[in-house]
Amino acid sequence: MRKTWTLSLALALPLALAACGGSAPAGTTNGGGGQSGGTIKIGSLHPLSGSSAADGQQMDNGAKLAVEAINNAGGIKSQGGKKLELVSGDTQGKPEVGQSEAQRLIQEGAVGLVGTYQSAVSANVSTVAERNKVPFVIDVSSADSILAQGYKNTFRVQPSSTVLGTAGAQFLDQVAKAAGKPVKKVAVLHEQGPFGTAVRDAFKAEAQKAGITVDPAIAYDAASVSDLTTQVTQVKASGADVLMVAGYYRDGVLAAKAVDTVKPALNAVYGVANGAFDLPQFPKEVGAAGEGYFDANYHADMTKPEMQALAQLYQSKYNDAIRTGAVLAYDSVRVIAAALEKAGSAEPAKVRDAIASGEVPTLIAGPGTIKFGPTGENLNATPILMQVQGGAPKQVFPADKAEAQPTYPAFKSQ
Amino acid sequence: MTSASDQDHVAAGNGGGVAALDPDEVRASPARTVPWLRIAVIVALVVVAIVLAYVRAGSSVVVVQAVTTGILIGGVYGLVAMGLTLIFGVLDIVNFAHGSFLALALFLTFGLTQAGLHVYLALAISVPAMFLLGVLVQRGILAGAMGKPLENQLLITLGISLIIENALLLFFGANPRSVALSGDRGVPIFEAVANLSRILAFVGALLLAGLLYLLLQRTRLGTAIRAVAANDTGAQLVGIDTRVIYAVTFALGTACAGAAGTLVAPLVTIEPTTGSLFNIVAFVVVVLGGMGNVVGALVGGLIIGLAEQLGGIYLPGQSPLLSVFIVFVLVLFLRPQGLFRRSA
Repeated sequence: MRKTWTLSLALALPLALAACGGSAPAGTTNGGGGQSGGTIKIGSLHPLSGSSAADGQQMDNGAKLAVEAINNAGGIKSQGGKKLELVSGDTQGKPEVGQSEAQRLIQEGAVGLVGTYQSAVSANVSTVAERNKVPFVIDVSSADSILAQGYKNTFRVQPSSTVLGTAGAQFLDQVAKAAGKPVKKVAVLHEQGPFGTAVRDAFKAEAQKAGITVDPAIAYDAASVSDLTTQVTQVKASGADVLMVAGYYRDGVLAAKAVDTVKPALNAVYGVANGAFDLPQFPKEVGAAGEGYFDANYHADMTKPEMQALAQLYQSKYNDAIRTGAVLAYDSVRVIAAALEKAGSAEPAKVRDAIASGEVPTLIAGPGTIKFGPTGENLNATPILMQVQGGAPKQVFPADKAEAQPTYPAFKSQ
Repeated sequence: MTSASDQDHVAAGNGGGVAALDPDEVRASPARTVPWLRIAVIVALVVVAIVLAYVRAGSSVVVVQAVTTGILIGGVYGLVAMGLTLIFGVLDIVNFAHGSFLALALFLTFGLTQAGLHVYLALAISVPAMFLLGVLVQRGILAGAMGKPLENQLLITLGISLIIENALLLFFGANPRSVALSGDRGVPIFEAVANLSRILAFVGALLLAGLLYLLLQRTRLGTAIRAVAANDTGAQLVGIDTRVIYAVTFALGTACAGAAGTLVAPLVTIEPTTGSLFNIVAFVVVVLGGMGNVVGALVGGLIIGLAEQLGGIYLPGQSPLLSVFIVFVLVLFLRPQGLFRRSA
């Protein structure tokens, strides 16, 4: 049956096509020199199509709003009120596409890049940024490895996986102890990529310090998983009292549906940097099953008036609730704009130095301003704890960022 | 650029596709015997796999749950693959747009439920609508490429899938949507538990598979479809209008995708890319079950569903696709024609 082999080859074709698409050289015009015409260009690289398009489009919108806000406030004053211009690229969530799009934006004269959501894409873009000596500010991408390369031109606004996992374990321990029901055993369900694995490792190390057993740790493939019932049954059989979930949106919903079906005896379902549990869509999609879900994640600080104004603006302009990813993109553009202001020049190398030494206010909940360490990590990046209460995610911990009290145990009658 | 070697592959694949027509017909056996021995071997292997999973997991609850989930999800994979295998068996088209048709049906179902229709009543609209779309796509876009080299149709369907996916993104936006089934709850099965919506999707898939089988085996239309699959020139000589059969078969295939889309709507997060989740698995199922074999697709779907779930127990932390492809490669190696031969 040669047909069988024909079909097998056909199966491989889209993969080969994708590879071809990535290596195609982007249209090359002027060599990246910074300002062309009367504006200063900033590149925004996000997955505008593909499976992460919802987040990517939000983030691109966030970057646009930041540029508009800065231009309305008079542009870059140290450079004669020059206006900013956002040039957007679609990474499609693919590392090779992100790489060629980054090259294109730099050649079109972008003096700084923001992006990109997926860690694998950000890793490739950081290489392009380093080669071209153009600063790249990561809004969302948590893998520790991106900033472990010793690159001088890459900065990260959001907390790394390690920071997220560590703080996640501390928050859980503190909230449970305050409620008088210390956690004994945590089962971990995580996506198998660098993000999920790094969060698991950091969470486990910190939880064990607090005397919490972490077992079992079950991994799944976020891209292809279609049911988590078996995995949640394993959690039920293990007798854990908390289920920690580190993953993205679709798999987070599957986990919640599986927990609702299997009904393990849990005190809490606890997300760490979970892409579902702190989104307003999540309680809408899973209904009452999502009530009480925790998520320790970087989050927009809704207690700040400026953030409330931005959320309203986003709602009226795009008819959608703003997500934290968009706020991080907003902040990242402001980081570059502040550096342009400080440097008094649109020379990428000078902008880079100004970012490295600067300090910028943020709309993300945290202990202070955005300030980068020697590796490019934001020293003040930290998550806060959210919980779904009354059908909407609320900030519940630490106390100074809380909109409501945490409910622990999260489920009433199980 | 890797395109030079790709072209070699495609060229080789094309040669194989044309030449393979003859050995097929030589193989096709007139006897309608049920391959009991093969079924027994498959069942025995599945039982061994379950026992090994039990040894590995050490907990009967987990294994029973894995088997239940695997069978339920496998039925849906089977339904998706049935449409694909029908199109491949009769039209020799590798339909990359199948997953996108499924996504289209998901959005159609979403729209209908928003308008107040019950999810399963939406079948009455989504299936005919997808059938009609299938006729239009086959007559309008693919008819001109019939009988041309395999990669022509393959690239056309790939293009259709990109158009559908991005049109959905354009018109509906990227925000995830969902269809709620009121009264959906966990139903205990032995020690395991399964959502009512998953059980209904499985039962629906079985019913539709039975209908499709009856249509192919017991009706004049089905006989004509099988005749065209076996030898289209011969079918033309005895007075069958192959153009009509091609259009109807393609439409039956897309209608299967439509039915699958509506049945899985309560189970999945609805996004323009949701269909591609099912696409790769469906291709594996098609080859596994024997191309063009509708019953084989259903059996293949069940096997892949089980492989995916039990694989999670054998190889914890690996992608479910890993165990799926291990089974796939083993079957290709041992029985390159698939578990069951072409039914046509």
